Parts: sequence; C-alpha cells; structure tokens
Amino acid sequence: MAGSLNSRAQVAVLSVMILLCLTGNNNIVPVTEAIWLNIPSSGTKCVSEEIQNNVVVLADYYVVDEAQPENPSTVSVRVTTPFGNNAHYNENVTHGQFAFTTTEAGNYLACFWLGNQQQGTSTTLSLDWRIGIAAKDWDSVAKKDKIEGVEFHLTRLEASVKAIHDNLLFLKHREAEMREVSEVTNSRVARFSIMSLGVCIVVSVLQLLHLKQFFHKKKLI
Amino acid sequence: MRLRSAEICLILAFILSFIRHVCTVSINVNEVECVYEEILHEGDAVSGSFVVLDHEIFWTSDHPGIEMTVTSPAGQVVYSLKGTSGDKFKFKATYSGMYQFCFRNPISTPEVVSFHIHVGHIPDEHDLAKDEHLDPIYIKIAELREALESVTADQKYLKARNVRHRYTNLSIRKRVIFYTISEYFLLVGASTLQVMYIRRLFSDPANGRV
Repeated sequence: MAGSLNSRAQVAVLSVMILLCLTGNNNIVPVTEAIWLNIPSSGTKCVSEEIQNNVVVLADYYVVDEAQPENPSTVSVRVTTPFGNNAHYNENVTHGQFAFTTTEAGNYLACFWLGNQQQGTSTTLSLDWRIGIAAKDWDSVAKKDKIEGVEFHLTRLEASVKAIHDNLLFLKHREAEMREVSEVTNSRVARFSIMSLGVCIVVSVLQLLHLKQFFHKKKLI
Repeated sequence: MRLRSAEICLILAFILSFIRHVCTVSINVNEVECVYEEILHEGDAVSGSFVVLDHEIFWTSDHPGIEMTVTSPAGQVVYSLKGTSGDKFKFKATYSGMYQFCFRNPISTPEVVSFHIHVGHIPDEHDLAKDEHLDPIYIKIAELREALESVTADQKYLKARNVRHRYTNLSIRKRVIFYTISEYFLLVGASTLQVMYIRRLFSDPANGRV
C-alpha cells in the first residue's frame, strides 16, 4: 500500500523534483503538500478528525528545522482510535509515516510532543494527513490499468464525484439521526413541562391537606 | 500526489500541470494556534472553511467568537474574520510562499476548531506557452476539478456544522432531562421544608400558641 515508501527513496525523488522545479518549468507537481504545525516546547499538539468505518488513512510527518541542521529536533507521536486503542506509536523520530484502514467510526486523534532532546524550544512539524480518496495511490492505478493523460484525469474526477455522492449520503443519514433526536427532545420537553405542572399541583394539594389535618389536630380550626 | 519512482515522476510531471492541495483537520485552540500552508504559485485561489465544534462548554450569547487571520509571507494580513463560530473564506494569493492561518480564542476555555483549506491552481495561457506538452484540455480539466473541489469543500463545511449541531442537540436532550428531574426534586423538597417550618411555627410553645 502507499504507506510503505522508503524514506531515502522519497528524499531522492524530492531532490529530483526540486531540480526539475528549478529548471524553470512552473507546471511541475509540488514537492510538498502538507500543513505545518507548531509543536510547543511543553505539552502536546493534537490533530483529530472524525472518520467513518472502513476508510484508508495515510499520513506522513517530518520535522522542519532549519535552525540546527546538525542537531535536529525529534518528536514523538501517538495515534489513537475512538475506542482508545493505539493505532500508531513512535518516539524520538524526525520523520515517519503511518497508514491504516479504520475499523471503528469516530474521532481519531494524532498527538505530537517533543522528544527527549529538545525540551524548551518549539519546533515546526510538517504533517500530510489524507483520508479516503485523497489517500489513493493514483500512479499505481495508472500503471496497472495503463491509462494516462486525459483518461487518467477523468478517472480521478469520476472517483472524486463518487466520493462526493457518498459524502452526501452520509450527511443525509446524519441529518435523519439528528432529526430523530430533535423530535424526541421536542416531545420530551412538552411531556416534562406538563408533568412539572402536575407535580406542582399535586404537591400543593398534599401540602394543604397535610396542614389542614395538622391544624385540626392542634384544634386551631 | 505520492510519487513512487523518478520516471513516474517525470512522466506525470509533464502530464499533470495543475495541483490541488487539500487539508482537513481539527485542532485545539487555547489562545492562538497557527497553521502554516505553502502556496506555490501566485494567483492561486485559496478557499476553505472553519467551524468551532464545542461540545463540553457551550457558548452563551455574549461569547465574542473565534478570530481567524491569514497572514501572507510578506507579513500583511490578507484575510480576517472576527467573532464567528465558523465560516467559509476565499481569497486569491498575491504572493507565493508560506501563508499563516491563525485562530485566536479570546476566552481561556479551549475550543476545538475544524478547518479545511484548499489551494487550487488553474494553468493559464502563460503556462501553455511555456510547455508544449500542455494541452488546452488540461485547463478545462483543472477548472472541472476546481468546481468539484468547491462542492467537496461545501460538503465538509456542512459536515462540520452538522457535528456542531449534533453536539448541541445531545446537550439539549441531556439538559432537558437533568433540569426537569432536578426541578421535581427541588419542588418536592421545598414544599416539604415549607410544611415542616409551618409545623414548627405552630408547635413551638415559645411562640405562645398551643
């Protein structure tokens, strides 16, 4: 799967890309497609996403540290599933990647914190986090089916449209769930308010009866 | 795009003349949280959305909201949104380089912000002239892709708003049950205390009554 790329090969590919970019053709694909996060000097920085069941998750992270190239900062990472299981754990690394297919639907959390060396300085981490269709390995699909050019792009667009449709169905399902919760809450509010009125009346009647009985006993009435 | 080897990279480099650059994650915002994104070509359209999903502490109506500012690599503030619980944004990048998307939380309680950024690049005639392998059909494909990405971005915004709404609904349900049941108990407790007090008033011989 896509997660098994060797980091040295990746560095080689990236340097080829940088070279191609510098030769003046602006249309070459970019070297990175990631967001950069600031890892604080103490504490963890967490990134989360709500993912459905049976979705491919692919992530790649590396520390961007131009200040001290000879002593790079290291980070530790832990990825937890919504039920609390550990999907990936790595400590004191400068780069890494993980890939898994989700078996539980819910909130997946990836937390980063500084490794043992660099306590006291914050570092920047580049994280490339993709799920679902964005994680698909298109070049192997191109090689396998031997499609290229316009047909390749249109195949990607078709997959994108299918993903949009699936998302829409998911949203529809979620909206139906929420509508049910709202309707139950609506009937509950009505029911409980009328019941509270009833409780109020019952309690005051009981009070009156009890006090009448008490005053009779005390021969005040 | 993940590239496996140098020759695939060269072939795709000449075929693919547009990029799309998408990111959707949610982060905790304590005071200021910044996310950096590299924009490679000037003139790219940057679009996205962010939604605050708060599920532990709910905002009262006088909460000032979350502030978002986008700073260009030259240091200018390109886009700014104040006092919202989530919104969509769109701007054209006038410089290429590292842009900074910062979220500021004026209240000290941490909030979870879910954001989505998309950087789209459509090759224009300048790029067409430079590279003879570039077919004009790729421009159309790029435009189509950008249109589909905007649909996807809208969907992600709807999904994030939906999650926030869901938290609100579940909280409403919990609050309804908790407050009405405790209201019953308090009512019964208050009336019992009332009766006991009145009894004590009338039973106490120091009051002069029987």
